[in-house]
Amino acid sequence: MKLRLLAALTPLVLLLTPAGASALQVNENYRPQNEFKLEPWISIHIGGLDLSINKAVFYVILASALTCATMVWIARRMQARPNRVQVAVESAFTLMRDNITKGNMSDAMARKWFPFVGALFMFIWFSNMLGYLPLPTNTEHKVNIFGAHIPSLALYAATANLSVPLALTLVVWVSYHVEGVRAKGPVKYMKSWIPAGVEGPAAGPIFFIEAISHFMRLISLSVRLFANILAGHLLILFMGGGLVVLLNLAVVGSVLLGLVTGTIAVLFFILEVGLIATLQAFIFATLTAIYLGGAVAESH
Amino acid sequence: MDLSVINTLAATVAENEAIGRKAGKAIALGVGAGLGTVGPGIGVGYIFGKVIESVTRQPEMRDEITSIQWLGFALTEAIVFYAFIFGLIAFFLS
Repeated sequence: MKLRLLAALTPLVLLLTPAGASALQVNENYRPQNEFKLEPWISIHIGGLDLSINKAVFYVILASALTCATMVWIARRMQARPNRVQVAVESAFTLMRDNITKGNMSDAMARKWFPFVGALFMFIWFSNMLGYLPLPTNTEHKVNIFGAHIPSLALYAATANLSVPLALTLVVWVSYHVEGVRAKGPVKYMKSWIPAGVEGPAAGPIFFIEAISHFMRLISLSVRLFANILAGHLLILFMGGGLVVLLNLAVVGSVLLGLVTGTIAVLFFILEVGLIATLQAFIFATLTAIYLGGAVAESH
Repeated sequence: MDLSVINTLAATVAENEAIGRKAGKAIALGVGAGLGTVGPGIGVGYIFGKVIESVTRQPEMRDEITSIQWLGFALTEAIVFYAFIFGLIAFFLS
């Protein structure tokens, strides 16, 4: 026990010694935010619009192509005696259909909206998972391998850019309002925002608060997904070497710090891949189903 | 009096101001993100505590409780990242 404590404290003590403190010169050349900078690969400008193909566009296309291709491929070779992949996809299908969609809306609505909710879940899952695969997309720093300039490996995900979750959120937001208006008519739909039991003069302020909360859903739904993935990537980036480069310690300090943060990076990576990526896709799809079901339901 | 002293003083003040601004941003990120973790930390602990309590009371409800548990966990945990993102905005974009 004592030995373990000593081993854990040694790096800290080394950092706190006068030699360590005087060596603490933050590396000004290292800019972590550049990991998320989008450099145009193919420049396309139409009017004032910047439609350049960059890293984010590449990841969106890759994620959607992979989603379609994998699902179609598995659907084509369905067997009566399923292999492991088919079992996994079938259990994901059951989760999406029974738990996410049918658990939160009526059967008629579930039949209509299951493809949408399922596609959202699969797309977000694939794009989150792609984010943990280092791909050669960092065009700022190139690596020279036998004369070929190959972009260095980088972590990025379509969902680590606010635009993609925001676009998905807008689709969800508009479609649940449209569905609500179609089911009840505009006036009755607005009235259904007010919780049951609120009557008289209290209804006005409550309606106002409910209207704001509908707009807050835009922010919370998109920022939840974006911030989770971004924070995960930042944690892996800083723990897996960024902190060592930034603090610019002497050799011994760098090695010790790197060993500690590298271990933490592996743990965070396991957490992100094993839990957060799937959980966030699940949450997004579940909330979509809850919003769609709530807009149509009789009582709020 | 030598007028160049004023220039030196002005340069020093400007430099200190730049350092102060940088320090302020770093403090905003650290304190904002750090305090933002306190509330959701309590919340996540509360959720898991309640889940353990509910499952020990009614073990047959386990599956239903588990799915609600993850929903509550993710909704609570996301609040940490709201604080974190606003800290990053203060740090990098202001």
